[in-house]
Amino acid sequence: MESKDSVIAAFKQVPIKVQEVDFAQRGYHLEIMLEPGQLRDFAQLLRTGNFYLSFISGLHLATGIDVSYQFANYAFPCRLLAHVSVDADNSLPTIADIFHGANWHERETKDFYGVIFRDHPNLKPLLLAEDMEDLKPLLKKEPALKDRAAITRVEKIAEDKPAPAVKKEEA
Amino acid sequence: MTTIAEQGEHRYVLNMGPQHPSTHGVLRVILEMEGEYVMDPQPVLGYGHRMHEKMAESRPWPNFLPNAARMDYLSALIYNHGYVGVVERLAGIEATPRAEYIRVITSELNRLQSHLLWLGVLVLDLGAFTPIMYTFEDREKILDILEDVTGSRLTYCYMRVGGVVRDIDDKFVEGTREFIKWQRSRMPMYDKLVTGNIIFRKRIEQIGEFSPDLARRYGLTGPVLRGTGIPYDIRRAEPYSVYPEFDFEIPTETTGDCMAAYLVRVREIEQSLRILEQALDKLPDGPAMAKVPKKLKLPAGDACYAVESPRGELVYHLTGDGSDTPYRMKIRVPSFSNLSLLPELCRGMLLSDLCACMGSLDLVIPEIDR
Repeated sequence: MESKDSVIAAFKQVPIKVQEVDFAQRGYHLEIMLEPGQLRDFAQLLRTGNFYLSFISGLHLATGIDVSYQFANYAFPCRLLAHVSVDADNSLPTIADIFHGANWHERETKDFYGVIFRDHPNLKPLLLAEDMEDLKPLLKKEPALKDRAAITRVEKIAEDKPAPAVKKEEA
Repeated sequence: MTTIAEQGEHRYVLNMGPQHPSTHGVLRVILEMEGEYVMDPQPVLGYGHRMHEKMAESRPWPNFLPNAARMDYLSALIYNHGYVGVVERLAGIEATPRAEYIRVITSELNRLQSHLLWLGVLVLDLGAFTPIMYTFEDREKILDILEDVTGSRLTYCYMRVGGVVRDIDDKFVEGTREFIKWQRSRMPMYDKLVTGNIIFRKRIEQIGEFSPDLARRYGLTGPVLRGTGIPYDIRRAEPYSVYPEFDFEIPTETTGDCMAAYLVRVREIEQSLRILEQALDKLPDGPAMAKVPKKLKLPAGDACYAVESPRGELVYHLTGDGSDTPYRMKIRVPSFSNLSLLPELCRGMLLSDLCACMGSLDLVIPEIDR
């Protein structure tokens, strides 16, 4: 892959849902919606396309936990953000064997959200102490907050699978 | 080296840190040793964990400004810059042109003092005490300049959404110009004292094999990456603020060892001085603060803002929900990814070389722990 357009073309072939966004407003070029089953193939594709993993992060929504992966490329400007909703048992496949740096990022996400990364080599607490494993500090505790947050992404997620639990905020 | 590992008879565990002079903060590394050889270094993080990301979610966004300075204490202004940048991007606010120039000038001064401190402590880690005395003399001059305008010497809280809190004056401009001259006159001395020193070179040449592939697998960024020959710098790759208006080089080396990282950083000092010179020449007049609504709410949606810190790529990823409190803020810090390659990089290395590697990575632990 040598340009943003070839990256988009490669994604469309899989097919992976990809959308170009305005860099000046969002700070990244491509937004991607993944199914959990596509995650490892997606990572493999980026690995051969010479991308590097910038970070893995989470977001607690009314629909569940949304894990986001940001990748960027050393050779040409193409920063992308991929969203995956966790499986019903709160887990996702690991990509730590594809991008070795994901090892720590996944441990951090486990610390903060309790997301289990299947087949991770060492899913021990990284930043939290060992006896704080149940703390999951970034989960939203107040239900009101959780509902309000749904407005940020729910439209996009709803394209694939409508989430009946979500209440949209009245504008 | 695997032969030593396979024998496994004389293995022992050495605990380095959490209080150790060459871990530069409360970092613990559990070292499985075979004689003087490190067979398995495993960093243990979290001693300085404060959960800045949770703090960001539990207070209105302006109240997080001081936090931004307390992650990486060596590049507080650059963290300021990233944070106000991401809020401005999400809320659709533009800072005034003068403010953008002031941000670049103060950020580059901040980068210079970080590089000067690194130069001193790297050599100190390797056993030479004198150079840090010289680099601190230079660094003090920067801190004095910044203190006059920002009010602090380390944990700056200077930038605001829409601009900077206080305009710079003639004294600042003159002081910075004098400093540029002074710093240029010092570089030949560092070349003789450190770069050309045969003992120093033997300690870091051909130590640490950083490669473009290793970098991609671990997300390595910053001067260490540029030492492998990849000219990747956020200031050039995804230009932010007014960086496109300046003429500067991205120094690279090809050897990918600790010496390469060292040479890149030293050459970056000159590039930062060049940016400073041009920014002072072009500095526009006008207000240093734009008109910003008093109660600014963060719209629903998300935005990223990436900046180049002295250690690599720093990304703020902010998700808003229409209130004045961020719904989520992820902070991607460069040292976190840079340190994560230590177990692979340093396997089979001499203990003293591990110190050289950690020194070259220029780790700031509070930034990793957040």
